[in-house]
Amino acid sequence: MAFDPHREDYQRMALRFVRTLDGQEADDALRAFARFGRLYNQESDLLPQSDEERSFHLMADAAHLIDYELPFADDADAEGIVSRAHTLLEEALSLDPANADARRMRQAALIVGFEPFYAFLLEGQEQVRLQCEERRERALCEGNHERSSFGAFLALAPYLRWLASLASKALICGHNHAAVDACERLLALDPSDAADARFTQALALAKLEDATGLDELERRVGAMDLDRPRRPQDAWLQLSRCALAYKQDDLARARSWLHGVCEGYPQARATLYLQKELPDGVFARLALPPLSEDELIVAVSEATVLLQEGRDRRGRGSFGAWVMDEVAKELSPRERRELDEFRDAQAQDGRDEGGSAPSKERGA
Amino acid sequence: MDAREEYVLRIAQRQRRGRGLSDAAYAELLLAVRHDPERFAGAPQDESMALLGRALDRYAASVGADESRDDEEYLRARQVRLSTLQEACAAILRQDPSCVDARLCALIARDLDPDDLLWQLKGLERDALPSLETADGGRGADPWSDVLCRPALRVKAAICRTYLESARYDRARKSALELLRLSPLDCLGARHTAALACARLEDEPGFEALVARFGGRGDAWQGLARLILLFKLARPAAARRALAGYDRLCEGGVFALLRPVYVEPYMPDRPATAPYGFDEATLAVHEADAIIVDVPDLVSWVESVPGMTESAAAFARRSGFEF
Repeated sequence: MAFDPHREDYQRMALRFVRTLDGQEADDALRAFARFGRLYNQESDLLPQSDEERSFHLMADAAHLIDYELPFADDADAEGIVSRAHTLLEEALSLDPANADARRMRQAALIVGFEPFYAFLLEGQEQVRLQCEERRERALCEGNHERSSFGAFLALAPYLRWLASLASKALICGHNHAAVDACERLLALDPSDAADARFTQALALAKLEDATGLDELERRVGAMDLDRPRRPQDAWLQLSRCALAYKQDDLARARSWLHGVCEGYPQARATLYLQKELPDGVFARLALPPLSEDELIVAVSEATVLLQEGRDRRGRGSFGAWVMDEVAKELSPRERRELDEFRDAQAQDGRDEGGSAPSKERGA
Repeated sequence: MDAREEYVLRIAQRQRRGRGLSDAAYAELLLAVRHDPERFAGAPQDESMALLGRALDRYAASVGADESRDDEEYLRARQVRLSTLQEACAAILRQDPSCVDARLCALIARDLDPDDLLWQLKGLERDALPSLETADGGRGADPWSDVLCRPALRVKAAICRTYLESARYDRARKSALELLRLSPLDCLGARHTAALACARLEDEPGFEALVARFGGRGDAWQGLARLILLFKLARPAAARRALAGYDRLCEGGVFALLRPVYVEPYMPDRPATAPYGFDEATLAVHEADAIIVDVPDLVSWVESVPGMTESAAAFARRSGFEF
């Protein structure tokens, strides 16, 4: 279960709305709730009641713009989308300065560099924890057990996202132990792992080449109550396993993990051949159907830290080059040609990296 | 690798075995061989070492002339010297197929991707291993003291470095520690590979054990590895101290880190450099390149630490480099 901004926005308001129905006849309550659902779909801006709700709603709109619309927009539209999203975030923060998601997303755009943003997340985590826990305590006092525990979860969700963002930035910054620690805290807070911290943790453990840690994680994942099929396993775990086997020189096992990914995901060979690197979602990891082509694209993009490491004359990183060569064996010459053309076209747009051919110039 | 010196040592060692000389007599013989090795040379293995020495000299002379070449000339000269060396090695191997060093140089001169190089080196290691089992110098002696063992040790050191280059850091660490156990003299610097691998794996106990083992005798690799390790472990104050230490001890160390250069493949092992000198820092940064790139903001952090950019600029001024 990933975090979907609009779904959570709806859940927050629906939970509050349900509380107003207490004491009504069952049929009336059902009809009222159906009306609420229709209203959310048609005129959701009218529904928020409190500043906190309005703030979350605006932030959810901004998140949708940045994470779900911007990647598919033309250059001409991109600027407008970004500017609309920032206006929404500013408005969200003026209504609820404690809106942790909005604060995090605004800073993600303002702070230049990976390390300063990581430092911001590190510095802010305690304050966010206290705020979310306070809201969580309040939620726990409201309504019956089922509603109050769901309300408590929603109150904590921004902190979970903050920590998940901290973990993934730690991984990108090369603080792999710190990434593992942040994931451990997430899993302790939320054993259902709504933030999918286990994905980031698998990548960090593979970076640390910690085979025991990866075994232990796999065992824990096996015991989790997850809202996705058990088999095939998620791409993050499989790619981490594959990277570790490659690093341990066990190419037969690495091949078998790669085969697992190819069997478990549609169009996997093309995705693994292209190894596209995308910007991370600013709200959270994109909410995508489990085992879909898009999910693998996101997993491969996050696995860039494994794929692009080490020297390879084509500038792809040693593991990345091996993965590419392996999947290429299963592609027809025509498929390869098309994928190469696609990649070249993207490189022309300046969105891809160049090779690493030797050059004698200082600063190469 | 000092091929001429090993040519001399090989001849002297063979003569000693043949004649059963005492230590004192061997010392005298060594002087005589060094003065005129050709007089004593006889075995085809001696000849291979002499030929390889000359081939490596030609290779080094071509690398030395790169400074005056433009990019196009450089790429052409590079291609030429690599294929010339391969041909020279092939000629040596036709006469003396047992020459591990010629095979090693020929492999490196093929300029392969690290994965391909690794598989080839492992094959070579299997063939070279028996020399280590019949090491001269008695029980407990470091195999480096037997000149016939050195090619096998060089292959092992090349494997350690290639593990590091192909981002197999646990393998790099393990194989470097194994080489250190096998040859504690560590004339090939396996400790440098181990230090960098520990830094990348955020293995502080492993790194500290390595430092303790060498009695705190540091070098550019150790200084660089410590600062990378502490930065990765998110201990900025300690990382700043490590950076200050690296800057103080390594001549031009910060400049080397801020302005990395491409370094030609080691042929066949790490070139000798002055301790804590600029050339040593250049090699350390080159070997750590993939590890530094993996910490994307490390270099900008170094630049942000007060005094570091100034230190690099001052070194550049003194040395006539652009900064």
